[in-house]
Amino acid sequence: MARSTGIRHRNAPGDCGTLPPYASSWSLPLRPFIRHRVALAVGIVVAGLWLGEALLHGQRVDVDVRIAPPAGAQPVRTRADATLEYPVGPWEFYFTRAIYSGYGRGRRWGSRWATDYPKADLQFISILQRVTRLGVYDRENAIRLDDPNLRRFPFLYALEVGSMAMTEEEVAGLRAYLDAGGFLLVDDFWGTWEWQNFEMEIRRVLPEYPIVDVPVDHPVFSTVYEINEVLQVPAVNNAVYGGRTWEQDGYVPETRAIFDDDGRMMVMINWNTDLGDAWEWADNPYYPLKFSTYAFQMGVNYIVYAMTH
Amino acid sequence: MFDALFELLFKYRPLVFDQGDFVFASPWSYLLLVAVLGAGAAVTLATYAQARGKSTPLDRGVLSALRVAALTVVVFCLFRPVLVLSSIVPQQNFLGVLIDDSRSMEIADRDDEPRRAFVDASFGTEESALRAALADRFALRFFRFSSATERLTDLGELGYAGLRTDLGQALDRARDELTGVPLSGLVVISDGADNSESVLTESLRGLGADGVPVYTVGLGREAFDRDIQLSRVETPPSVLQGTSMVVDVVIGQVGYAGDAITLQIEDEGRIVSTEAVTLPANGEAATARVRFTATEPGPRIFRFSVPPKVGEMVTQNNVRDVLVVVEDRREKILYFEGEPRFEVKFIRRAVADDENLQVVVLQRTADNKYLRLDVDDADDLLGGFPKTREELFQYRGLILGSVEANYFTPDQLRMIADFVNQRGGGFLMLGGRSAFAEGGYAGTPIADILPVVMDEPTLVDGEPVFIELMVSPTRAGETHAAMQVADTEEESGERWKNLPAVSSLNPISEIKPGATTLLTGTGAGGSDERIVLAFQRYGAGKTLAMPIQDSWMWQMHADIEPDDLTHELFWRRLLRWLVDGVPDQVVASVRRDRVEPDEPVELLTEVVDGAYLEMNNSRVNAEVTSPSGGFVEVELDWTTERDGEYEGLLTPSEEGLYEIRVEATSDDELVGSDMAYVFAAASDDEFFDSAMRAPLLRRIADETGGQFYTVDTVASLPEDIAYAGAGVTVVEELELWDMPALLFLLLALVGGEWGYRRLRGLA
Repeated sequence: MARSTGIRHRNAPGDCGTLPPYASSWSLPLRPFIRHRVALAVGIVVAGLWLGEALLHGQRVDVDVRIAPPAGAQPVRTRADATLEYPVGPWEFYFTRAIYSGYGRGRRWGSRWATDYPKADLQFISILQRVTRLGVYDRENAIRLDDPNLRRFPFLYALEVGSMAMTEEEVAGLRAYLDAGGFLLVDDFWGTWEWQNFEMEIRRVLPEYPIVDVPVDHPVFSTVYEINEVLQVPAVNNAVYGGRTWEQDGYVPETRAIFDDDGRMMVMINWNTDLGDAWEWADNPYYPLKFSTYAFQMGVNYIVYAMTH
Repeated sequence: MFDALFELLFKYRPLVFDQGDFVFASPWSYLLLVAVLGAGAAVTLATYAQARGKSTPLDRGVLSALRVAALTVVVFCLFRPVLVLSSIVPQQNFLGVLIDDSRSMEIADRDDEPRRAFVDASFGTEESALRAALADRFALRFFRFSSATERLTDLGELGYAGLRTDLGQALDRARDELTGVPLSGLVVISDGADNSESVLTESLRGLGADGVPVYTVGLGREAFDRDIQLSRVETPPSVLQGTSMVVDVVIGQVGYAGDAITLQIEDEGRIVSTEAVTLPANGEAATARVRFTATEPGPRIFRFSVPPKVGEMVTQNNVRDVLVVVEDRREKILYFEGEPRFEVKFIRRAVADDENLQVVVLQRTADNKYLRLDVDDADDLLGGFPKTREELFQYRGLILGSVEANYFTPDQLRMIADFVNQRGGGFLMLGGRSAFAEGGYAGTPIADILPVVMDEPTLVDGEPVFIELMVSPTRAGETHAAMQVADTEEESGERWKNLPAVSSLNPISEIKPGATTLLTGTGAGGSDERIVLAFQRYGAGKTLAMPIQDSWMWQMHADIEPDDLTHELFWRRLLRWLVDGVPDQVVASVRRDRVEPDEPVELLTEVVDGAYLEMNNSRVNAEVTSPSGGFVEVELDWTTERDGEYEGLLTPSEEGLYEIRVEATSDDELVGSDMAYVFAAASDDEFFDSAMRAPLLRRIADETGGQFYTVDTVASLPEDIAYAGAGVTVVEELELWDMPALLFLLLALVGGEWGYRRLRGLA
């Protein structure tokens, strides 16, 4: 499912601070609910089940994951002077994935930060090496939000943030990271419920900055590749079997961002779309080329934008 | 004292003996006189030979010798010794009297009387002793001099308000005025505190060739007992608005060793900095380093001052005013990065709030694919790195990141070298996997301009060697304005010590002769000392080498507070320094930016074309706006001495700031324009280094055949000039036979003979 993204707010980096917060303009996603009452009913049922699960059995699962030092190409070294080890070497760029705490139980809920990990990361890294001049570290790199060494990696990728439930330490770590100059790319979360959860979480980190829409004429869409419309990149099952591209009630892909007072983009949000799945399954001959191409192009755009702005 | 004693004994002063020729002028034959002496000696010897009595042969010998010596003195007088010398013909010669009319003559450093008191006492009226003595012999012509010289008809015109003392110009002018008249010499009455830029040598050589002796009379004391002086304040002629300046101030002093003083800097009345200084040992100068920020644009007068201390002999030299032009413009820097790098983001972020820096980014994202940021025009840099000099030379600074040398054509590499050497731009090469030797720059024109020595690339398995470095400033770096990352030098030093490590792929450890290292880095355990930042002047510009790849660690490392400004400060100051003093196509300047009203000042302008080649066929015009808003145009002409240099003359008549807008055109097309400023006002320059400079005055006298006098010795001046032999003279014989010294000698010899006889019981 694709749409041409209209400009709802003129959103040049310089004037984003004057835009109204996203909360004041979120009525647009409700339209599909009105048109599709069946979907609305299903959504209510699903939401109720999910809420019930959370209330009855749910608990916040604080991550305690140790990532083994990547066995990458020499002369990589690793450090263990913080809670986690991290790679140190001659590379300019480390594709870094955020490890965060979340709601749920069991492997599925507690490990949603690791969705598509590490295959999506590795496949995207190989594309970066082929199409750009970026000196990119050729292994995956995941790091906790409360790890002080997080700030060594000014680009950070987080996905499935619909179940995110950060600890206070993680909130502080992410806040310091973003204040210092870090860039967070958020991906692969769908529908109203997950949006509200993510919005609540990111408000804990950046309460004072509004979330604003990023129109397709924003420079981030043309940093390297010219993107003229925002595609809804579906998860692999939907894409391969040619079904719907949306999940839950996330019918329209949205690109939103949080800018600081100087107009610097701190957080780029891809909602109702799944770039990570496209990276992961790009090698699947049945995965539509247009989605994987778009996902790679937008990934490159985001990274180069983050490295220059 | 010596002269007085000499004159008492020998009748005349030593100068007369120097000037005259000694001769015997006896009317009698020398043979007769010698015969008389011989006869007298013979009679003496015969007499003592006969009258033996109780005397021994020794007694007779001594007495004979004394008698003969006395006879010799008498015969010497009979020879009529005289000094033959030329003396002036009274009232037939002119004498130029040059009186210092500068402000330093008001200094009361001798018996609490100002220096001008000597002029008033000695020349104030026609009856004044020295003036009368001179007027008896010479036709006097008076001049007053400071920065200019003019004839005086009435000594009441002396106002002692001159802002400069220019002895060379005064001597030249007086000699010119008195050309063609019989001139016995020039008398210069001054403290000798020459503060002009003219060189005396030519003036003195001309006077020596013309045979015009100069007699100098030094006024004032050669050294003060107690004084503090701001001896030197060194500021750049212009800075970018918002630049944090570090200025060295040299404070000279006598009599205040160990005292604490406060140096204060004001920007047109607003205090912008203070610095406590403890004065060193007596007579030694203290150097204070002060820092302040030039916040207000335009020509600004910064005042440096030290409060007067009790007992200071001169307080006007505690203050210095300095004109600094604070430029409010955007300095355009091209940053070419060969690959996406976080340095781009963080450097851009560091200077984002600096309205005076425009960092235009050209980043190669893929082969033949570029990202352009902050360009002025949609077509700028569309084809990648500039291919013509005109395109590149529009920037004032150039940063090269990790981009291999092979990217550039040979002409582009030469163009980058010319950017520094010829255009005068600032060039910075950053470290990276494709920079320095690792980028293949060894042996290229860029290797020639860089301040560091590049060896062969260091690779292990084809990859550059990665090292993390703890950075610290060298001694030169600690004091360098661009390396200040905190409010004071001490805090800045501490900040550098605590900054996190950065990494490098370019092992450089040697700088070229003449280059300066500002930052060094050491690996773990203090090993592997590397150059982190070095610079050198090269041709008309400067080059910097910074072979590290992630200075953004000073912003992003966990040890740095998110709101810490060290990284921003470092890059802002570094880039401002990179483009500091980079010339435009038209550069206007004035020979001196501070003059007194009606003092001419030279306007200079250098003009080059878009490729920075000198232009000699431009039309250069200066539009001068006076303080009252008056408007004058001055045309500047090519000097013919230097390509592209034009010159004109401006004489400010009002007090205040003159704005000069210089515009150069060629074939009716504008080449460029520039501003210059002249401040016309009374200054206190006369009170700096204002002790009497006897060595200079003595040199003037010695090299022209004159003599140096002080207030205590000046009484003999008229007579000395009279016998100097310059002008219309007559030959005069001065008798010497009646010198008291001869009488005393004769009496001593006769008395000695008598006394010897009495002593020996022979009489």
